[in-house]
Amino acid sequence: MIATDEKRQDPASGTARPADAADGVDIKCVGLTKTFRDFWMRPRVRAVEGVDLEVRRGQVYGLLGPNGSGKSTTIKMILGLISPTSGRIAVLGRRPRDVASKQRIGYLPEESYLYRFLSARETLDYYGRLFRLPARLRRERIDMLLEMVGLDAVEHRPVGEFSKGMQRRVGLAQSLINDPQLLILDEPTSGMDPVGAKQIKDLIADLGRRGKTVLLCTHQLSDVEDLCDRVAIMFGGRVRAEGTCDELLEQEDRTTIRTAALPPAVVAEVRGVLERHGIGPVAVERPRRRMESLFLEIVEQARVEGARTSGATSGGRVADFLRSGTESPDVGVATPVGPVADVTPTAGVPAATPPVAPPSGTSVATSSATPAATSAATSPPPAAQPAGPIDTALIDRLTNRQR
Amino acid sequence: MNRPSQPWRLASRPLFVLAVGSMAAEVSAGVFGGGFAGVVQAAFAAACAWWTWREFEAAPRWRRQATATAAGLAGIVVVWFLARHGRPVEATGLAGVIGMAAGCWLGLAGIHLALSGSTGVTGVARAVLDEAVRMRASLGLALLVLVLVPTLPLALDHSERLQYRMQFLLSWSLGITGVILALLTIVLACGSICGDIDSGRIHMTLVKPLRRWEYLLGKWLGIALFDLLMVALVGAGTATFVRLLAATEATDAQDRAAVTEQVLTARIALQPEPANRAEYDAAIGAAIRRLEDDEPDAFVRNPGAARRRIRQEYDWQWHTVTPDTVSTFVFRGLGGVKRQAAGRADATLQLQLKPRAYNVDVDLADVRFAIWLNDRPWPMTDGVHAEQTLPTQAVHVLDLPVDAVDEQGDLRVTIANRNLVPAGETQPTAITFSPGDGLRILHRSGGFDGNFIRCLAVIWIKLTMVAAVAVAAASCLGLPMAILASLVIYATALGSGFLRDALGLYNVVSTSVLGSMAERAGRAASLLGEFRFYEAFRMLFGSVTDLALWLTPAFSDFDAVGRLATGMLIPSADVLACLWRIGLVYPLVVGLAAWALFERRDLIRSST
Repeated sequence: MIATDEKRQDPASGTARPADAADGVDIKCVGLTKTFRDFWMRPRVRAVEGVDLEVRRGQVYGLLGPNGSGKSTTIKMILGLISPTSGRIAVLGRRPRDVASKQRIGYLPEESYLYRFLSARETLDYYGRLFRLPARLRRERIDMLLEMVGLDAVEHRPVGEFSKGMQRRVGLAQSLINDPQLLILDEPTSGMDPVGAKQIKDLIADLGRRGKTVLLCTHQLSDVEDLCDRVAIMFGGRVRAEGTCDELLEQEDRTTIRTAALPPAVVAEVRGVLERHGIGPVAVERPRRRMESLFLEIVEQARVEGARTSGATSGGRVADFLRSGTESPDVGVATPVGPVADVTPTAGVPAATPPVAPPSGTSVATSSATPAATSAATSPPPAAQPAGPIDTALIDRLTNRQR
Repeated sequence: MNRPSQPWRLASRPLFVLAVGSMAAEVSAGVFGGGFAGVVQAAFAAACAWWTWREFEAAPRWRRQATATAAGLAGIVVVWFLARHGRPVEATGLAGVIGMAAGCWLGLAGIHLALSGSTGVTGVARAVLDEAVRMRASLGLALLVLVLVPTLPLALDHSERLQYRMQFLLSWSLGITGVILALLTIVLACGSICGDIDSGRIHMTLVKPLRRWEYLLGKWLGIALFDLLMVALVGAGTATFVRLLAATEATDAQDRAAVTEQVLTARIALQPEPANRAEYDAAIGAAIRRLEDDEPDAFVRNPGAARRRIRQEYDWQWHTVTPDTVSTFVFRGLGGVKRQAAGRADATLQLQLKPRAYNVDVDLADVRFAIWLNDRPWPMTDGVHAEQTLPTQAVHVLDLPVDAVDEQGDLRVTIANRNLVPAGETQPTAITFSPGDGLRILHRSGGFDGNFIRCLAVIWIKLTMVAAVAVAAASCLGLPMAILASLVIYATALGSGFLRDALGLYNVVSTSVLGSMAERAGRAASLLGEFRFYEAFRMLFGSVTDLALWLTPAFSDFDAVGRLATGMLIPSADVLACLWRIGLVYPLVVGLAAWALFERRDLIRSST
């Protein structure tokens, strides 16, 4: 197992994580409601309705939901950009508009809202000034952030000439320039290439390990599953489900056994043993690699071979000033899982970085439920793939369950 | 690995083009003449700048600086070429454009330096400055100003008297650029703030530790500083070209004297008083009492208006010299001028006249009159009291000897009507000097330079008010409405004097805004009762105008450019009053109202 799994325990259990020692709540929303009115002040859209949220210090908290579910409105209320029609919000123990709390917040909006005529460096300088960072500190942090997001080679080009993904990188860098305690990320990986997306996911995981609080708003289900300690799923302006990923995703009626590749004879023998115990149907298959790991491998190979690019480079390590938190020395590295026999529950603990599945291996998925569940066996449930994408029907199922 | 491109290496090819172009232009000058060669030189200069921009795509860090430097260098080469090939006027104009552009560049760098502090307000202000020179609309207007000031002298009619050319240059250079800069201010403020809100950039800015009022203040500060830079550049350019123009040949000695005494100076005006003030006031009092007896209704309705009307009638009557009579106008308080001029035999006072004649075709009429100064005939030519013959409806200035002022500092100007009987008439026409500016004494009270700086200060103060209005409008309206509202307020402020005269007194006698509005509303109601809808609408429209005039500060109260161009002093007290009313109180009120709205505004475009 990779070391990051250690942190994936529920903070509420009070185990292991240094950040849990600070028993603070960084975001608290009670009965949050927002009704948008039209020109004649008639109530038109109730975007958010009676939302209660509690994001504790050090959590990576996922706010999940389809388009129009009220995620961004909730975030904008938390940030003080719009006022709630009713309900209360405390951010870092203060009102959302409080300047002192904003000093410790980093925000990446869902789109890159940047001055097109400023260069990447000028953009970061502008936001650094708004945080009242002294000139030298600002310069140092800008250097580190540009290197981190891989834009140091194009720092003097106007942002307007950047691709969408490069603009997202600038947006990410500006959200980190104040070394925030609370990072609010709205669709952080949208528009990013898989390299950038992975880098952002690594970064979020890393920041989470260092005790930073991250509120992640997305409809990239895999991001949530990979990264979040807790998840709230919104629909129609309401929170329909809330809990840890484990609580939400574990399928108690299934078991997955992962081993190194098995010869057909052994498979037949295992199948026979299972059938003797009345367990079936049994699906045996070779695990597939994820497209993301394949892509990353190819890009890494190209880089090793010295291929040139005029776009963003892969970026460097996490900026030093963001590394102030405590972490175990061996975390943050995507460690491929070797071909070892590893028996895990079906909805295994999500890894901070999706491990590359073993090229040779066998996965056996069984159902302890009645034989009627054959359809699930022929096509393995999404959660059966380690850190694979969440079934998109999950939201529907969860929201239906709550209704 | 990409090697960083060396700036000197990138610059070498464009510079080579410029060198080749210069040689080609010299050769063409010999073969085809200066005109064609000038075009060749300009084309190669433009090619040099364009190529630099292209070449430096590889070094974006230096791209803007390199292109500006190349354009400046190419411009200087063209100026040099024009100067050597008999086109000094064009060379001067182009040199002016280059100088102003360079000044703008340096000024921007200076303001950036001044705003280098790490505060939210200065951070926002810096971004506005960057926006000002990179947003197409504002950059276009700024360039228009930078080109207009140096090229305006080329539009002057050189057969015109130098005095008028200089007055034209001053009033147009400062007047037109004032209007363009106001438009630039509105476009920049509305474009910047509405752009931030519409594009969502404001989300990135206002989640930083920046209060909303700091954001608005930062925008205003950036625009005000940009305006300051532009006004300073316009001032420097105008002052330079006015000096250059003043150094050219005048039409005659009188023209030269007029330039010195009536343009490049700062004079104050003295209004005349009646020879016997007590008698004059008594006459007015008697007239008012007569009216009270004869038309008691007029007094019951509005006594103030009736008194005002009678006083105006007497003023006009007193400023009119009827045929075969004399009128005496007393100018007091000239003791200081007399003391300053002590010992200088040639020291003069200026008597400014704008005569009008009645009963004849005024366009063609001349008026004839004789003048006595403190009861002594003036001027004496060869021992004879010379008469004055002047065209009507024009402003004339007569230089009076300061010696004529008596020991009390009074100067009595007595005017006798010597008009001839026009053809077809039975008696000569009366001569009238309209009260206010028809007859007054002007005397020098300060230098042109100080006056010029005060004029620039007033222009800038007005622009800061426009900036405040535009920032306020943009903080609570969408882009088109914000620009429209700002333009309406600016136009009302600009035309307030005219509007007040043309509409403010329409059909009402009340002097206060609220009284006037109430009066108009009452009249509109009675007109509606009589089914006279159009008149009722006009009456109501009048109250809207009243309200607009009441809500808008009057720029015409501080007509600095007009005073500067006519050599009239802009008193420091006026500048301070302008600063207080237009530069502080009004922006503060508008700004607070805008902040109150902006603070409660949801900064979002859609509902999710």
